[in-house]
Amino acid sequence: MFDYFKILENLKPEERDIHTMVREFVDAEIIPQVGDWWDEGTLPRNLTTKMGELGILGPTTPEEYGGSGVSSTAYGLICYELERGDSGIRSTASVQGSLVMYPIYAYGSEEQKKKYLPELAAGRMVGCFGLTESDGGSDPGAMRTRATKDGTDYVLNGSKMWITNSPIADIAVVWAKDDDGIIRGFIVPTDTRGFSAPKIKNKMSLRASVTGEIVLEDVRVPASSLLPGSKGLKSPLGCLTQARYGIAWGALGALESVLSTTLEYTKSRTTFGKPIAGRQLVQHKLVTMATQHSLGLMMAYHLGQNKDAGTMNYAQVSMAKRNNVRVALEGARMARELHGGNGITTEYPIIRHMLNLETVDTYEGTHDIHTLIVGRDLTGLNALE
Amino acid sequence: MKILCLIRQVPDAEARVKAKNGLVDLEGATLALDGMDEYGVEQALRINTDGANTVAVALGGARFEDAIRRALAMGLERAIHVESSEHLDVVTQAKILAKIVQEEQPDLVFCGGQHADSDSQALGAALAEALNWNQITWTTALEIENSSVKATHDVDDGKEQLELELPLVITTQQGLNEPRYPTLPNIMKAKKKEIRKASLADYGVAGGKVRVVKQEIQDKQRLNKLIDGKDPTAAAEELIKLLHVEAKVI
Repeated sequence: MFDYFKILENLKPEERDIHTMVREFVDAEIIPQVGDWWDEGTLPRNLTTKMGELGILGPTTPEEYGGSGVSSTAYGLICYELERGDSGIRSTASVQGSLVMYPIYAYGSEEQKKKYLPELAAGRMVGCFGLTESDGGSDPGAMRTRATKDGTDYVLNGSKMWITNSPIADIAVVWAKDDDGIIRGFIVPTDTRGFSAPKIKNKMSLRASVTGEIVLEDVRVPASSLLPGSKGLKSPLGCLTQARYGIAWGALGALESVLSTTLEYTKSRTTFGKPIAGRQLVQHKLVTMATQHSLGLMMAYHLGQNKDAGTMNYAQVSMAKRNNVRVALEGARMARELHGGNGITTEYPIIRHMLNLETVDTYEGTHDIHTLIVGRDLTGLNALE
Repeated sequence: MKILCLIRQVPDAEARVKAKNGLVDLEGATLALDGMDEYGVEQALRINTDGANTVAVALGGARFEDAIRRALAMGLERAIHVESSEHLDVVTQAKILAKIVQEEQPDLVFCGGQHADSDSQALGAALAEALNWNQITWTTALEIENSSVKATHDVDDGKEQLELELPLVITTQQGLNEPRYPTLPNIMKAKKKEIRKASLADYGVAGGKVRVVKQEIQDKQRLNKLIDGKDPTAAAEELIKLLHVEAKVI
């Protein structure tokens, strides 16, 4: 791992062991193949099963529900390594762990937890998270999807957009407004009548990840599908805080990949009889990338310490997600530039990471939205609405 | 069946090793469980699939604990760590390990076929000698039925099949198996597994008989071999031969 300030030395032994294991897994099972998956626009279903077998899906979930109860720092390191492979693969793990398992764990009934969490943790079941709608993801409170009570059932109508894994998912955690206009969460098996999830095609980003819509046409679910503890917008936003935490670590994995590839490339690429890494303008870019990686890693590390201590707040998560993704994206663009023509082919991982990071900069709260969340926290004045 | 796995901590294959004051300096280098030892751990877990009666035995410095945790996270039941940062020659190591074998009374001891750091292949043989046990070296396949072991192992010109009775020392060779990843739940469980600590004095040993005088990093020179390409078939055959016999990479 690129660890200029030796952050890893502060980790607990089991956190180091988890990190080593996931890094080996990514080196052996993901990096040699992910370029082809990305080119083909596919992600093998058995990769989720493999991640489940290793225990890296929703690993902070307690053991009794199929997780391992690991620290948030360990979870962050898992996200880092998966995204060093590809942002799409980290997205799959983030959705499964933070956006499907977390709401079931945090807002679900005991019966729901026992039924779904072990299956999701093992990767035998794939989940997706339906919050964003086509009118705009930045204002989820304005959602149109409705859950109408009919006898003891709920009938769901509406549509969701940009949903990671929806075309391959077995269950969807769907957010809808009830008859009182309150946002509630529902666990909807994707084979329920009236549920469909058309795949979104022609993506030029996160190609090694399946994205789709969710269309709900009179989808009837029993009251036992409702996540009883979910109430109001703060429930889905609570899930997003978990996922954004993982992204704050993950983006730095992508940055390490482009930095280490560029270090190798610029040391072997010569112009005018000298490696281009020996040129001042090139070194400036390399040093900028390395510095931003180091700053970002220190922020992610402390965020993890705060999360485990119970002192983390959502504005800190916004700051870390906003900063770390943007510096990774800017680093990938510099890496693209330093690779010249080679930077635009998928023979090298650079353009793949760069294009992926365009999405990561947008999803889970855009860069600008996080600016306004942190701005509101700093000033006490709300510029969001 | 009770199985002991000898394990060592060595510089990771990608670690940059440097020499300082005439000795190899491992400060800052990434260390890992020796891959050859990992084959032994994996094989032990394929024999005793629930991990019961499998023991990791390590003889080395405090940093060996990382390798011990790895073996426990793969699934071994417990570990014994004789902690010493002294340089110990293989014969002295074998004497200590033989005493542990006599204490533990296993049926089988796995040992890496070759040390990734020193390239030594002697530990398994030295241990078998100290125990007066049979040994199978460079093992690539193994079948156990009751107390009878059928094994395939590499010899200079090919493969040999052997049938021997337990107890045995078996040294590993690439191809014996594909070691598993330690899963995350097992990493967490390994935290609670027993690591019994011991010292050289516990085994009546004061130190090794060999003193390391100087170590240096070998600079590998390129051979610059050129193959005549007039006959492509002959050139390809020659290339395959060189890669197989000399470079030993295929």
